[in-house]
Amino acid sequence: MVNLTIDGRAIQAKKGQTILEVARDNGIYIPYLCYHKALKPIASCRICVVEVKPGPPRPQPACSTYVTEGMEVVTTSERLDVIRRELVKLVLINHALDCPICDKGGECELQNLTHALGIDRVDYEAQVLTPHIDYESSLIERHPDRCVTCGRCIRICRDRVGAMAIHFMNRGYYTELGSGVLPLDCEFCGSCIEICPVGALINKVFKYQARAWELEKTETVCPFCGGGCTYQVQTRDGRILRVANQDSILLCGRGRFGFPVVHSEDRLTTPLIKENGSFRPASWGEALDLVAQRFQEIMAEAGPGAIYGVGSPRATNESNYLFQKFFREVLKTNNLDNPGRYHFVRGMAGLMAVFGVSQVDGLAAPAARVPAYHSPYEVTEGATGSGLMFVLGKLADLPQADVALVVGADVTTELPPLGWALMKARENENFQLIVANPRATKFDRYAALSLQYKPGAERLLMGGLFKAIFAAQPDIAPVINAAGLEEFKESFKKFSLKEYATKAGVDEGQLKTAAELLLKAQAPAIIFGTELLGQDKGQENATALADLFLLVGKPGNPGSGVYMAAEKANTLGLLVVGVLPDRLPGFIPIDKDPGLNLEQMLEALETGHDNAPQALYALGGDLVRWLPNRSRTEKLLKKLKFIVVQDAFLTDTAKLADVILPVAIHVEQEGTFFSSDSKLGLLRKALPENGVRPDWQIIMELANRLGGAFKYVKPAQIFQELAAQLPVCAGLAPGHCFPAPGLTAKLSGQFVPFEQDISLPGRRPYTLIVGKSLQHSGSYTTHQPCGTLMVTPGARLKMNPEDAVALNLGAGETAKIISSHGEITASVSLDADLPPGVVLLPDHFGEPAANRLTLNSNLVRVTIQKM
Amino acid sequence: MMDEARLSAILSRYDGEPYDLIPVLQDIQDQYNYLPKDELHEVAVRLKVPLTQVYSVATFYKMFSLIPKGKHQLKICLGTTCHLKGGQRLVASVCNRLGVEVGYTTKDRQFSVETVGCLGTCAQAPVMMVDDKYYARVTVDKVSKILKLYA
Repeated sequence: MVNLTIDGRAIQAKKGQTILEVARDNGIYIPYLCYHKALKPIASCRICVVEVKPGPPRPQPACSTYVTEGMEVVTTSERLDVIRRELVKLVLINHALDCPICDKGGECELQNLTHALGIDRVDYEAQVLTPHIDYESSLIERHPDRCVTCGRCIRICRDRVGAMAIHFMNRGYYTELGSGVLPLDCEFCGSCIEICPVGALINKVFKYQARAWELEKTETVCPFCGGGCTYQVQTRDGRILRVANQDSILLCGRGRFGFPVVHSEDRLTTPLIKENGSFRPASWGEALDLVAQRFQEIMAEAGPGAIYGVGSPRATNESNYLFQKFFREVLKTNNLDNPGRYHFVRGMAGLMAVFGVSQVDGLAAPAARVPAYHSPYEVTEGATGSGLMFVLGKLADLPQADVALVVGADVTTELPPLGWALMKARENENFQLIVANPRATKFDRYAALSLQYKPGAERLLMGGLFKAIFAAQPDIAPVINAAGLEEFKESFKKFSLKEYATKAGVDEGQLKTAAELLLKAQAPAIIFGTELLGQDKGQENATALADLFLLVGKPGNPGSGVYMAAEKANTLGLLVVGVLPDRLPGFIPIDKDPGLNLEQMLEALETGHDNAPQALYALGGDLVRWLPNRSRTEKLLKKLKFIVVQDAFLTDTAKLADVILPVAIHVEQEGTFFSSDSKLGLLRKALPENGVRPDWQIIMELANRLGGAFKYVKPAQIFQELAAQLPVCAGLAPGHCFPAPGLTAKLSGQFVPFEQDISLPGRRPYTLIVGKSLQHSGSYTTHQPCGTLMVTPGARLKMNPEDAVALNLGAGETAKIISSHGEITASVSLDADLPPGVVLLPDHFGEPAANRLTLNSNLVRVTIQKM
Repeated sequence: MMDEARLSAILSRYDGEPYDLIPVLQDIQDQYNYLPKDELHEVAVRLKVPLTQVYSVATFYKMFSLIPKGKHQLKICLGTTCHLKGGQRLVASVCNRLGVEVGYTTKDRQFSVETVGCLGTCAQAPVMMVDDKYYARVTVDKVSKILKLYA
């Protein structure tokens, strides 16, 4: 600790804090303009100057002067006032006087500063410059005449987001914020808007809607990826006008501009019942009665297993918990699963094979009373835990990793917060990034090593990497207690390192370098996501990466872990609360009569097996849209006698349903999500429901009609019941991850050999990767009037310009894409990031439906023709 | 259209790393008399420098120009000494004679006129540079003679 005085007040501060931070923590106001808590100080505006003793005779910037023992700081004096006033006057010389029409009015730092310093006139004149106002770009409007050249936007874009889309142009008095090209070509995350102290950057979605002081603010969780960012929803008159993250400022484009989905015109507002092939509106009572009646009839005929449940990663833990409870306790079947079966569940299964399921032992009995959304289990001394959750990395720790290996993931697209964590990790000088991906991605720019392998060859790449590691260090001993290393080594006998390299399409030397980096690492992080897990052998991919972590991972060191990106907000939560055919809440295995998983269920339907279900209850989970081989899914679902879909929109699966129950979405409901790094996020209700209902209420009503006795008044009660079944979440509270840091990890692992092959059959000339778009999450953000649509209004087939020339295709032209399973047409965009022979199509939009082409994987060989 | 061979010839002299940005831009400026847009895009890709940074550098330094410059660059000094010795009058005279404003290029693309802060030869004020050549004690009556040398 450091003792100092600020304005005569004795204050204790932490070593390494700056004067400004200490003053702020102690409620002492020091004005500033270029400083922001989310950024490193650059001390360029000099408005935060303070008198420091002992020190130089001139005032020092408080934002970049560290506190020292015995320091005496004076924050207000006549001299300081004169300096600050003078500096702000210089800023104000040609500042546009359009506060009345400037969106920032009322929350403008320059306005506040001018007021606080009592500046009523500017005594200088200077050449008036013509501002280059940018009205042209999507979502973001730029007014250089309001800019104070603090550089906050440039720094957040460069250092935190990593997009480098804006920069200062010209110099001196003529300095102006610019982008080089118009319109702006960036990630459209809007973080620059949020961090701008003035109105130089304006949010076009929010523009002219309201003044800051008119807005009601609710803290909740962003629903547009598995990152679990908390943000503030700002509403007026029952409408969201904007969202903001006031801590780190960072939000991605879908987070910042995707919220209008709540107000989308095409949302379902009343239950629908299908009669003679078309839907008619119905009352809640009628719809629920019909569902209960049909379920009863079907169960009477074919037993409880005839009803199959699909949980939803957009629904809360409470709703999903109640969903599985409804199936298990009321319907008495384990026939339920979740759409993560085709990606995230595979990842967890791979990790589970190597590290075992998570459990926690030695806890005291649960406490009877705890605050809402807290675990009743206290982390007591001596409590131990084991299994995969202890190797699952936490985003907050990732910046402490010293080597990160990203495999098959376009990080920012899959999970924007993961990208920010990597940007933060880069601040550590020793940090080294290895990016392995068939195509170039954003993080290649920051990578020490880029391994561009052939699509689908990740397991051969991993084989080569293991081979290189074993060659570099034959007597390697994993930090984690591991079994089966010798047999595991044997599994790489088949090929030489050179053969692995050739087969994977990379350079032998690169594999050696990657192996060296990983072996040297004190806190290696392994990162992958849905794109890798969405392959038919996704689980094998995850096993290979889990094996790698078992070999080189150092789970005791912060930052070292396996980071798995989930596309949707509550993908992990589904697993934790037991929306699985073979596991109860808390990963507890079911030995007796496990249900069918989603893949088995569809197979049973296909073969017409006895155990095939006859009815489907889908809590969201648009199977037709998201599962590979769309025509098969459609055909099989049509075999069902009765389908109930609970969703906010008339999705492709909902179109096949007999009853549709409209649900409340994120800001209309209370509850919790588990982010993909296991952080508990608390959703708070900010808007009324307008006729729709939260999932848990619908499930409860249905359960009670079928003989259940669910008596919940609010989601917190459900959480309380759920948390009592989750010792693995001991010590959990909103904003915290599990397992709690106080638990002693007793990790052990088992090396599991993986299949070393390329699973990409067929002879067609191009490989299609069904991927993701940066601006979209699932299909929610594709509904008007989401701001994200202004940037990415539809799915385009991305291809290398050389391929386009060979196919005689130009940007914007329509191509026919043909696979063995179907054909679609899509408009083409050129992207040199894709290697020749590889094309990419995002799957968020209904048309073109990428999954018409796929069989069982997100990779497929295709033929492309000009239309 | 971009002349790829011409640009590649310039880029081939360097390592293709971000630190080559300024020398590459200087070479382009020398050869093209300005920095064409397409070339800047290509330089950004080839040197792995964000396009915005390329533009930031290109607009920061006075030696670079995003609009085509004339065959000859006139730099008139307005440093303290030159200012006192009538630099401003020199600027007015040159501009009048060429029919162009400071910062612009004559219609025939022969001359671009700019003012600079100091040319480092204050003893010879007022000073003017045409391309790489210094002209000392340039009084207004010498202007036409100098310009004729380049016409």
